[in-house]
Amino acid sequence: MAKVGVYVCHCGTNIAGVIDVEAVRAFAEALPEVVVARKDLFMCSDSGQELVKQDIREGLVDRVVVAACTPRTHEPIFRAAVESAGLNKYLFEMANIRDQDSWVHPDNPEQATEKAMKLLASAVGKASRLKPLEDKYVDVTQAALVIGGGVAGISSALELANMGYTTYLVEKEPSIGGIMAQLDKTFPTNDCSACILTPLMVDVGNHPNIKLMTYSEVEEVEGFIGNFTVKVRHKQSYIDWKKCTGCGDCAEVCVEQTKGRIPDEFNQGLSPRGAAYIHFPQAVPKKAVVDAANCISCKGHKFGQEPKISKKTGKPMIAPCQEACPADAIDRSQQFDPNGTIEEIKVGSIVVATGYQVMDKKWFKELAPDSPNVVTALQLERIISATGPSGGKLVRPSDQQKPKTITFVSCVGSRDENFHTYCSRVCCMYMIKQARLLKEKYPDLNINMHFIDVRAAGKEYDEYYTGARKMGINILKGKVGGLEVLPEDRLRVLAYDMEGAVPIEYESDLVVLATAIELPETAKKLAQATGLQFCGSHFYRELHPKLGPVETSVRGLFLAGCCQGPKDIPDTVSQAKGAAAVAAVPLAQGKVKIDPIISEVHAEKCSGCGICIPLCPYDAITFRMVADRPRAEIDMTACKGCGVCTTACPSAAIILHGYEEDQIYAQIAALTA
Amino acid sequence: MSDYIKLDSEKISEGVKTITELGGHGILKCVQCGACSAVCPGVKAGFPVLCRLLIKKVLDGQLEEMIEESSSWGCQACNRCTEVCPQGVRPQEVVFAFRRYQANELAFSTSAITSQMNLHSYGHAVFSDARELRKKVGLAPEAPTSAYNEKAQKEIQTLLENSPMGELGLY
Ligand SMILES: Cc1cc2nc3c(=O)[nH]c(=O)nc-3n(C[C@H](O)[C@H](O)[C@H](O)COP(=O)(O)OP(=O)(O)OC[C@H]3O[C@@H](n4cnc5c(N)ncnc54)[C@H](O)[C@@H]3O)c2cc1C
Ligand code: SF4
Ligand code: SF4
Ligand code: SF4
Ligand code: SF4
Repeated sequence: MAKVGVYVCHCGTNIAGVIDVEAVRAFAEALPEVVVARKDLFMCSDSGQELVKQDIREGLVDRVVVAACTPRTHEPIFRAAVESAGLNKYLFEMANIRDQDSWVHPDNPEQATEKAMKLLASAVGKASRLKPLEDKYVDVTQAALVIGGGVAGISSALELANMGYTTYLVEKEPSIGGIMAQLDKTFPTNDCSACILTPLMVDVGNHPNIKLMTYSEVEEVEGFIGNFTVKVRHKQSYIDWKKCTGCGDCAEVCVEQTKGRIPDEFNQGLSPRGAAYIHFPQAVPKKAVVDAANCISCKGHKFGQEPKISKKTGKPMIAPCQEACPADAIDRSQQFDPNGTIEEIKVGSIVVATGYQVMDKKWFKELAPDSPNVVTALQLERIISATGPSGGKLVRPSDQQKPKTITFVSCVGSRDENFHTYCSRVCCMYMIKQARLLKEKYPDLNINMHFIDVRAAGKEYDEYYTGARKMGINILKGKVGGLEVLPEDRLRVLAYDMEGAVPIEYESDLVVLATAIELPETAKKLAQATGLQFCGSHFYRELHPKLGPVETSVRGLFLAGCCQGPKDIPDTVSQAKGAAAVAAVPLAQGKVKIDPIISEVHAEKCSGCGICIPLCPYDAITFRMVADRPRAEIDMTACKGCGVCTTACPSAAIILHGYEEDQIYAQIAALTA
Repeated sequence: MSDYIKLDSEKISEGVKTITELGGHGILKCVQCGACSAVCPGVKAGFPVLCRLLIKKVLDGQLEEMIEESSSWGCQACNRCTEVCPQGVRPQEVVFAFRRYQANELAFSTSAITSQMNLHSYGHAVFSDARELRKKVGLAPEAPTSAYNEKAQKEIQTLLENSPMGELGLY
């Protein structure tokens, strides 16, 4: 018979404050399978663990039950202790008498004590029937995938590649760079965004270990940590990237042909682009694409068709983009698949770094969204950027004149029950940055900034903020209530001075809205493909807000940057490098452990009915021919040990290791005794 | 009022309880952002203790001290504050709760008297003749309100005269 040792924990007063620990211990001691029952103030402390180890070493016990907090955090600790004393670590069972007992029944100590006895008896019943199990290992593919090529994805990819791993970087736009590429200068040091980002982008483009896949999206992710199979769709660019030199000649003719109707996303709609376009001047890779949805097939020269012959000249009528291309990279007559191509890659771990979007101004009807002189802060970044539509000159959109008064409005869609209740974290700082840059360049500019309060928590951030006050920028406490449109696209600001408790009204030439940071709708598609979950603020959910900030509930899948929550560049890069470090762990180990608490088919008992196959939520079961007859077989790397197949098998051919029938019946018997 | 206030937690919770019970349910949700007061026509017209500041004073435990405050009667019930409030406070309801508190205590500022008399005569505390304007935009000149309905006016007068307000001798 098994010799069960029982160890009851006080957990300080967490358990002992409610449950009569000595009574529970005495109860355990009287159980027939139990050879020794002890108690300790903190079982997880060194001295607590030593109690267990000593009893094992002395041959007193060969099964261990700890009645304590929760297996979620503490099972690994006790398993390791059991193993270090020379016992198979799966001969350990935990009774949860804190989270599921003392914490939920603080007002009912007597019944809580009784419940603890039942939970303990049930654990003892199971423990005495446990069998030793062995961990299994599978090899990993020593390559990584990073999804999203903003500063987060770039930083993660470079770290992984520098560690020596082949790293695929998948970016949906034609170039990497993300939103940081759209910024003018960056707080708190005011260095130019392009100056610090471009070298990193170039490194990515040239790195021998990085396989850059831009204008591409992840369609499907299958497999598990160490062995993911990923389908990547390379979108149709309609231009031969092997030949394209990035000269931009096609884009130049196309923007004329399309007459400025297509808004340039990179410039936040403040200028037009062509259907044939290059993402932005410093793009990596610098390649043109044709956005087919907007292409008007000039001269009737459609994709996949030979050009028509002109009746007048007898010559072929070739589309201007094709004609303009000096590198012969455009051949519209080719048969293009509009869906592009699918490539399958194999990787061991994945970092998701898909970033964010800023809210559109259209949602805020009280803030005159139809006025051209009301812009989002990201639009202002483009207006003041040297590569922007006005070449870096501050002009207001309605008449391209320099504004005299400029207003900043904080918390637009953030900290607001109607939109997002969270703080977007970066807008206070970037507004102060924009105001400082403008004041430096145009000292006579009148700048009014309206905040609920200023959030400048970060290294050297408060100094940056107080510096703005010293520069003569007007900082006012009180949220702007509304904007009124006056004749000639002028604007009246309805604000409030909290400190003076008086309303404020004035005319402003340009109003900048700090619209909230959020995940785009398309984030759902990637969540479906990868199994990522969302948090209450609708960002991707990390495993633990404090201790697992880059891990997710899917093993082998990690998060970096704003897709996990709003952050500035320093925090984004720190997290991205952290994500790279943890993503490299399985790659460095070269193998991953497979938990042995999974299901297994006894081929000799299986009748081949196949009932289990469609029931498995992880598609882990297939048929295998055993002596000419099909038998179910479970892929141990895909099985998660949920047990659905085990309960459904009419031949009782499937066992779930660690949860065998006699073990579960013993638990039920103890609970219902 | 003295120049400084003591933060007395009993007075604060008493004030919040009074306002909540009289209909200002959202008062504790206010984060003092000031958006309401930026758009409030009452504040603009010189009644500073409306929405944001009124809430602040209640949250500082100054409900009793404000009993004679006339600002509350400057509220136009326009609800612009409710529309712009990012926290769902519904400041207008707080203002009205405060008015109920004042009325229950029979504390009326002199500025409130005209509006009370208007209420007695037309059924509106603030009333302006909009018939010309309505005609201009193609609406029936007379809105369906007590202002143009003698029977309704009589009923309102009976109600007011028989309420504790009648004892004030305003009408
Ligand atoms: C107006 C403004 C000014 C700012 N100024 C500053 C500043 O001065 N200093 C500072 O520190 N921070 C600043 N920030 C914050 C800064 O922009 C972010 O911290 C940073 O861009 C976050 O980087 P990211 O890589 O997480 O996201 P992003 O920059 O959004 O990059 C994400 C990338 O992933 C790609 N992607 C998305 N979905 C997919 C998909 N399904 N498949 C493939 N690719 C995908 C996107 O195309 C994009 O390239 C500012 C933000 C704003 C809005
Ligand atoms: S045919 Fe060429 S130039 Fe004309 S719209 Fe299409 S991409 Fe642009
Ligand atoms: S960072 Fe500032 S502006 Fe942005 S939501 Fe937070 S408080 Fe509002
Ligand atoms: S309802 Fe009253 S408090 Fe609110 S904005 Fe209108 S006048 Fe001001
Ligand atoms: S708008 Fe709402 S949250 Fe802001 S001060 Fe007014 S009542 Fe408070």
